[in-house]
Amino acid sequence: MKKLAALFLFTAASLAAQAPAPPSAPARPRGNMLISRAVPDPAAVERGQKTFSANCGFCHGSAAQGGDTGPDLVRSQLALDDERGDKIGPVILQGRANKGMPAFHLPAEQIQDIAAFLRSRQQAAIDRNAYAILNVVTGDRQKGRDYFNGAGRCNTCHSPTGDLAGIAKKYDAVTLQSRFLYPRPRPGDSQPVRSQVSVTLASGQTFSGTLDNLDDFNVALRDDAGQYHSFSRDPRLKIDVRDPLAAHAELLGKYTDSDMHNILAYLVTLK
Amino acid sequence: MRLARGPALLAFALGPLFSPLFSQGLDPAQLLKSPTDTWPTYNGDYSGRRFSPLSRINSSNVTSMTLAWEYRLDAGTGTLTSPIKSTPLEVAGVLYFTLPDHAWAVDARTGRQLWHYQWETHGGIHIGNRGFGMYGSWLYFETPDNFLVSLNARDGSERWHVQIADVNQEYFSTPAPIVIRNHIIVGVGGDSLDVPGYLESRDPETGQLQWRWNTTPRKGEPGAETWPNPEAMEHGGGMTWVPGTYDPELNLYYLGTGNPNPVMAGQGRKGANLWTCSIVALNPDTGKLAWYFQASPHDTHDWDDAETPVLIDGEIDGQPRKLLAQSSRNGYFFVLDRTNGKNILSKPFIDINWSKGVDAKGQPIGNPDKEPKPDGTLVVPALGGAANWPSPSFDPETGLFYVNAVSSYSLYYLTDTADKPEGYGGRDSGVYSRLALKAIDYRTGQIRWTHEYNRGGGSIGILTTAGKLLFTGDPSGNFIVYDPASGKILWHAHLISTVSNGPMTYELDGRQYVVVGAGDTLYGFTLLQ
Repeated sequence: MKKLAALFLFTAASLAAQAPAPPSAPARPRGNMLISRAVPDPAAVERGQKTFSANCGFCHGSAAQGGDTGPDLVRSQLALDDERGDKIGPVILQGRANKGMPAFHLPAEQIQDIAAFLRSRQQAAIDRNAYAILNVVTGDRQKGRDYFNGAGRCNTCHSPTGDLAGIAKKYDAVTLQSRFLYPRPRPGDSQPVRSQVSVTLASGQTFSGTLDNLDDFNVALRDDAGQYHSFSRDPRLKIDVRDPLAAHAELLGKYTDSDMHNILAYLVTLK
Repeated sequence: MRLARGPALLAFALGPLFSPLFSQGLDPAQLLKSPTDTWPTYNGDYSGRRFSPLSRINSSNVTSMTLAWEYRLDAGTGTLTSPIKSTPLEVAGVLYFTLPDHAWAVDARTGRQLWHYQWETHGGIHIGNRGFGMYGSWLYFETPDNFLVSLNARDGSERWHVQIADVNQEYFSTPAPIVIRNHIIVGVGGDSLDVPGYLESRDPETGQLQWRWNTTPRKGEPGAETWPNPEAMEHGGGMTWVPGTYDPELNLYYLGTGNPNPVMAGQGRKGANLWTCSIVALNPDTGKLAWYFQASPHDTHDWDDAETPVLIDGEIDGQPRKLLAQSSRNGYFFVLDRTNGKNILSKPFIDINWSKGVDAKGQPIGNPDKEPKPDGTLVVPALGGAANWPSPSFDPETGLFYVNAVSSYSLYYLTDTADKPEGYGGRDSGVYSRLALKAIDYRTGQIRWTHEYNRGGGSIGILTTAGKLLFTGDPSGNFIVYDPASGKILWHAHLISTVSNGPMTYELDGRQYVVVGAGDTLYGFTLLQ
């Protein structure tokens, strides 16, 4: 269908006797979709943090989040409108006597550094995908081990001395938490866990391999030799899917959060 | 801002030949009718049902439905940052649709481009655009950097633009404006930096502000008692990013509002946080609130209640009733009396684990144990929700409400434990999801039939028609026609990607077309002739 689409457009363009550029596919956003303004120079941010902390932090908080006497500058309209000190500079230099803010006679470079620091604080709040996750290892490892070998029946497929040996060296605790819940294939996995499928034709011939697609109309697989096979679905076709992650999906509806934290506390001991 | 040259010039050159295509603007009376030869507003009509009375393509002949044309987006020198999320308008034989910073007109019979307009952006999150509103010969759309732009439908030339929100405060805009008489109703989005949400009405001739309704109260206003202090409500979020619906008899505009801010850290905004995550009824002439129903009091899961409030003229216990139904992102199916907002039904349409039931008003009671925690809590549905902006559909002939429902899990982490958190204050990690098409009986909330897919993904838009057909997509890239009564599959075609907008339909010269967007391509289907 992709080629067909290109062909159709090409034909239409030819008929129109125009010579447009080839159709462009939608580009994935480059970099960080959440940050659309310039990211300040880290060295300026570092200098700005020191200057801010020494001069402004007492009232505005060391992270500019506001304090008892000075407003929040992370979500401040003035600070958000600022470019390299053009809005905050006059306020720093002149103060705001009516609100109890004294004037600070800082050189232009230091004001620009403060502006860089404030922009970095704003962007840190905006860039939620970069937030640091706090301590996730809060469970009881013995209870986790009991669950692993008992109610969870994890030991049916897994072993701490077999496939899970050293798992805590391979992944940090946060990664381990989401991976044990559902270890779907992720980019960079050396051995992604995928469903296996056998497709038996009306003739009795069987094709087996890794499931590539299964929808209402098509089943496709790659056999052990890497050969791709695709079939239109038909009542005469026998399709047998073995999903090694089915037990993980089933457990999602059974775990309490305590179970989840206990299992993690156990898994992080497998170094 | 500039017009793309090639096709636009062609359209000018051939203008006289095609003038009937352009000379007819939109008669506002069309907005009050069910969609047939036009699709003049985001949902086809004001009801949000996405049900068309057209039946030329029907259950007896749909097997001979085939591709009439396709249009692959060409942004000229610009880049495309989103799939087609907009539902095209169709007026007088022309389709009008958008992407962030881009707008197009194509011939509804052939898919041939008539013009392309490009907005020069100043930033903002380019996640999608839901399309145009139309008033006479004028088109209106919103940009990621929060301008309302009015174009001339004839040639795509810009008439004016006005700013509706500040991109420096991290607002970005995606909704399709809704036109009610001489009101252009526009909404805003943006959860990054805890700004307050609002809905505005703008003048169709000048773009000037007619009224603004704030989704959170200001100091001393009603609703302030559901917030701890003025600062929290002025940073309280509640975005207005999915077009609403309208009942002309009651003269009420219905809108689902977004989640409160900071999104996942609720400790600085204790209380129910009105009017976030609510279905609200507003007078479109004044912006005054008539009633509200809060779907997620004190939300901490990013579950905007923005999903389309679908207007149903139905029956409850044998009595004709004016109803409103919504499949909420939080997993509940709600039915309200739309004259007064009184709850009739609140029932989950997927298995959920965050609610302890509903209160006397039918509003869900959140379980505090399932609010984001530093070490993570496992919540169903996931952040993307059981439903989202993709349009559901109500078929008055089957009496069923259709939604592509997502059963999904996220880990929710609280990352900012300060008394006054900022930004999102937390993160999620998606764990698992599965998609299923569900047919819900609006009188009971019972699921009459389900079609499960063996994949996850986001929800997908739906259209039903009097041809006894339901059009939607699956997570594998198929465009599928179902029998809406039984869920049986009648037809399908594999597209370039998954269906990314709500399918729509119209009839021209005795031919019915069904148009659907997938990724960067718009497809027009019709019967073989």
